[in-house]
Amino acid sequence: MIEARADIVANVWKIVVREGDPVGAGDPVAVLETMKMEIPVIAPSGGYVSRILVNEGQIVQEGDVVAEIDAATIG
Amino acid sequence: MTQTDLHQLDATAHRAALTQRRRDAAVRVEPRGRRQYTARERVDMFVDAGSFVEITPLRTADGRGTGVLTGWGMVEGRPVVVIAHDAAVASGAIGAVFANAVTKAQRLAIDRGFPIVYVNDSGGARVPDGIFALHGCGEVFALNVAAQRRVPQISVILGPCAGAAAYSPALTDWTIMVKGHGHMFLTGPDIVKAATGEDASADDIGGSRLHTEKSGVAHLEAEDEESALAAARQILSFLPSHVGAAPAITEPEPADPTAVSQLPFVVPERASVVFDMHRVLDGVLDAGPRLELMPGHARSVLTVLGRLEGRPVGIVANQPDARGGILDSLASVKAARFVEFCGRFGLPVLTFVDVPGFLPGTVEEGRGVITHGAKLLKAYIEAPTPVLTVVVRKAYGGAYIAMGAKSLGADFQWAWSNAEIAVMGPGGAVTLLNRRELAAADDPIALRDELAATYREEVARPYLAAEAGIVDDVILPEETRGRLSDALEMLTAGTAR
Repeated sequence: MIEARADIVANVWKIVVREGDPVGAGDPVAVLETMKMEIPVIAPSGGYVSRILVNEGQIVQEGDVVAEIDAATIG
Repeated sequence: MTQTDLHQLDATAHRAALTQRRRDAAVRVEPRGRRQYTARERVDMFVDAGSFVEITPLRTADGRGTGVLTGWGMVEGRPVVVIAHDAAVASGAIGAVFANAVTKAQRLAIDRGFPIVYVNDSGGARVPDGIFALHGCGEVFALNVAAQRRVPQISVILGPCAGAAAYSPALTDWTIMVKGHGHMFLTGPDIVKAATGEDASADDIGGSRLHTEKSGVAHLEAEDEESALAAARQILSFLPSHVGAAPAITEPEPADPTAVSQLPFVVPERASVVFDMHRVLDGVLDAGPRLELMPGHARSVLTVLGRLEGRPVGIVANQPDARGGILDSLASVKAARFVEFCGRFGLPVLTFVDVPGFLPGTVEEGRGVITHGAKLLKAYIEAPTPVLTVVVRKAYGGAYIAMGAKSLGADFQWAWSNAEIAVMGPGGAVTLLNRRELAAADDPIALRDELAATYREEVARPYLAAEAGIVDDVILPEETRGRLSDALEMLTAGTAR
């Protein structure tokens, strides 16, 4: 299980994937909004999004898990 | 046969025995455990081929090697003092004689003005030597600090470095760790378990990932010993041999032509969209080798060694691609340390600004962001070398000042034509300035956006700062390299070449 984490305290502006979606390493799973900046939350490696743990509009802290990615399900 | 017994031999036998003894001392014992190379092989790998000369090769402690190899060799033709722990002797533990050998080499480097490279692989203080070992460690630290004002010092961590062996690297300029083998900690996992009950692996408490990403104790992570030693050579390639010596100037190289042609389009139209600041550096600096220090730690600010028209420079830049390019406690300390380093070793500091501000909130205030941010202010204020600052996009509030502003002593500060310089971002500013108007509005959000757009154009654009003389000029992205190199040529005229 791979975790895509927020690296800064922020508001969850947009979630850009759905559970079950494939993502590649470096793809954004969500976009945070903090300090008037749009900060992507990146999938550290490729796989399928198995769980999204936040809602749009929610505040996340540095280190919070935004989405879990299952690498095992990719070929 | 003891040293004195050699004198009983006739001249020919004596000569042969001495040669053999030197050879034995050089080869030492086979590498132990997972180690691939002996101390001597490591040193030979680091210096120009065949150039290493050992100091006191016959010296012993308790009838065996001192546990440390000291000497000098050439790096790209310039002498460098090398101090390499010999893990084959008592796990490289630092005894009284070991420490004395180290301080002798440090003293040579300080007195004669040569960089020092420490090849570290040591279990810490040598217990049988008791307080004599501790005293020796303290003497090494004292000379680490004395050397800071005089010569570059680089530590390469190729094995465990516990306790006293971890503090010496922390007093040097740059520390490089080998992934998987290099460890730095106060005490190893067993003692941690005994002392506090915490279960932690050597990687957990002192691995290269911990120290190059989270703690910032080490500054570069290398895949293997060869690349760690190559990185040490690369750092030295940007530096003078000692404070005040001639800069390591090479043939000028133009910036990468593709990156130059892209430069006007690198910064996204919308101020909230991130981009990779490396693309700006690509379009401005010489295309030749560049070295990013602390790439994994406090990634919202970049600290890079590079060249402009062949002259080595230090680059500090916000990295919008990482955490929006904000300043926080760790980023401030990282940048402050780098600016201070550049100042000591004659490197001009080029600063590229796109900063939304200092990250506010309970976490950062609790970390002491005020104290850490102040270190960055102080580093710029005290920098003795040329400081040239380019505002690429946003520069707001205290972070505007902290990123090498004119008021801190920057020789020149320019802003790109689309830059925004203001006491705070347009959204926040109009919320504060137009509180009553907004409260009375039918659609406060629409009004706020409208006011913010006007504020951005009328207040934040760099022409106001340029008209006030706070920004020296408003420039186009493609003019940046020319402005920087003209200024550097002027500011460094008459200094050592």
